[in-house]
Amino acid sequence: MTDALFTGLSALALYAGWRVFRVDSMVRASFWLMISFIAVGGIGILLSAPYIGVATVFMMAVEMTVMVIFMVMFMMNPAGLNPMMMVHQHRFSIGAGVVAFAGMTAATLLTDLPSNPVAAGKAVVHDLGIELLGDSMLIFETAGVTLLATMVAAVVLSARTGRFGDAVEGSVPPGLEPGGTPAGRVPEKSGGHHHGSHGDGRSDHAHHHEGHDHDGGGHDHAGDKEKHA
Amino acid sequence: MSLAAFPFLAFFLTLGAVLAVVLDAVARSALAGAPAGRYLAGPLRQAAMRLSGQLVTTEAPDRANWRLAPGWYGALAAAGLAVVPFDEGLALVQLPTSIVLWGAVEALVVVVVFLHGWSPNAPFPLIGAYRYVATGLPVMLPSMFVLIGAALPARSLDVLAIVESQREMWNVVRQPLGLLLLLIVGLSLTLRGPMDYADSADLAGGSSAEDSGPARAMWQAARLAMLVAFSAMAATVFLGGYLGPLLPGPLWLALKTALVLVLMVAATHLLPRMPVSRMVTFLWVVLLPVSFLHLLAAGLVAL
Repeated sequence: MTDALFTGLSALALYAGWRVFRVDSMVRASFWLMISFIAVGGIGILLSAPYIGVATVFMMAVEMTVMVIFMVMFMMNPAGLNPMMMVHQHRFSIGAGVVAFAGMTAATLLTDLPSNPVAAGKAVVHDLGIELLGDSMLIFETAGVTLLATMVAAVVLSARTGRFGDAVEGSVPPGLEPGGTPAGRVPEKSGGHHHGSHGDGRSDHAHHHEGHDHDGGGHDHAGDKEKHA
Repeated sequence: MSLAAFPFLAFFLTLGAVLAVVLDAVARSALAGAPAGRYLAGPLRQAAMRLSGQLVTTEAPDRANWRLAPGWYGALAAAGLAVVPFDEGLALVQLPTSIVLWGAVEALVVVVVFLHGWSPNAPFPLIGAYRYVATGLPVMLPSMFVLIGAALPARSLDVLAIVESQREMWNVVRQPLGLLLLLIVGLSLTLRGPMDYADSADLAGGSSAEDSGPARAMWQAARLAMLVAFSAMAATVFLGGYLGPLLPGPLWLALKTALVLVLMVAATHLLPRMPVSRMVTFLWVVLLPVSFLHLLAAGLVAL
């Protein structure tokens, strides 16, 4: 039973890991990676590490959701549904993959792994707590602060007034003629007055026969106001 | 693992979902001041209409995720309910860290709702999906603090031990704020009322705006299943679960689950919803520090 579960979960982890590089969307790739990690978490439970196993699942779920949001945000692929190539630098990555696989396989096969079975009734969660806040505390705290700094940096980069300027800057549409004012609605700076002049123009249009000319004049007038403001 | 819990699980999911539908109808009729009969027939008619309806699709959707999302959501509800003990030692999944497994279910709900809104490749569902991630993720943090706080008196992450630790005093007496915070989490998990940012009416149904026919019925059923699973979990963690005099354990749990269901349905229909941006500010600026202080207080009391 345990062997069958281990084989099944390993196969799922490998298959999902392979799919990460074969799908054409960042959202799909991230969630395939999540499935791969969930399978690894299941293996963790089989290896009598229930906390690490289950924690892997919830951490990866949150992490991959955040990753999806950030990737879609930075890659300017509005929904993540547009097909895109998920792999690049083919030759280099093939080489790096072969070297990494050979290295890890060698490490696994050549290392003399200790045989230290965990007793069924061992309080693993308790031991993990002692480990986290005992001798290894400095390492975990360093890692924690590093991660926190990364998160703060990510927020700074993506914030409305981040390092790359105001967030609305990139979302202004191009002009109708080259170098002209941006197309679309211009935010009104002096709202009430502007509306008033438009209203006057409309009512004049209704009363006079040469309304067209007058209406145009009204628009020019409003445009001048905007330029001055 | 205790397979004897399986019939209880199936029983809770079906009966609880029916009860939730009835409560929703009663709440609607009470608010409208109209007789409940008309409102009780509504869900049945709607279910029949959906199940016999046509399955309409959008242009270039992610079909696999779209069709699977209701199934995943329902499966997560079942997985969450699987760690709830129906009686002493009678939980389908027994793990020394079963409360963390429930936490994993909560986190995966965000993923599933996002995928459900993302996969149709249409604007309203996509907006619903992003709005849900924006509110659902910050809700995860208070949720973790509340669950850890409830686990502190038991000195264990096992739901069985958390129930046993409430023999003298229910957790709701020790940590009344905890139940309130957990109910907010539950509203977010089940896409209801003040926390319904994924499937809300202002987005014409949000993440399920493009769902039609049986797929939409499935999604609604999965939402009800999650509501039942959450109510049973809240009753277990804060109201002493199966503990109680005279009556058998499962019946006590059912009664307490029904009580939480009533609270959830009342919150759905009585509380207004804030705009997303204001809710996100509220979640990060108010709810997160409050839940942290709650955990601190719970820890000091438990010491």
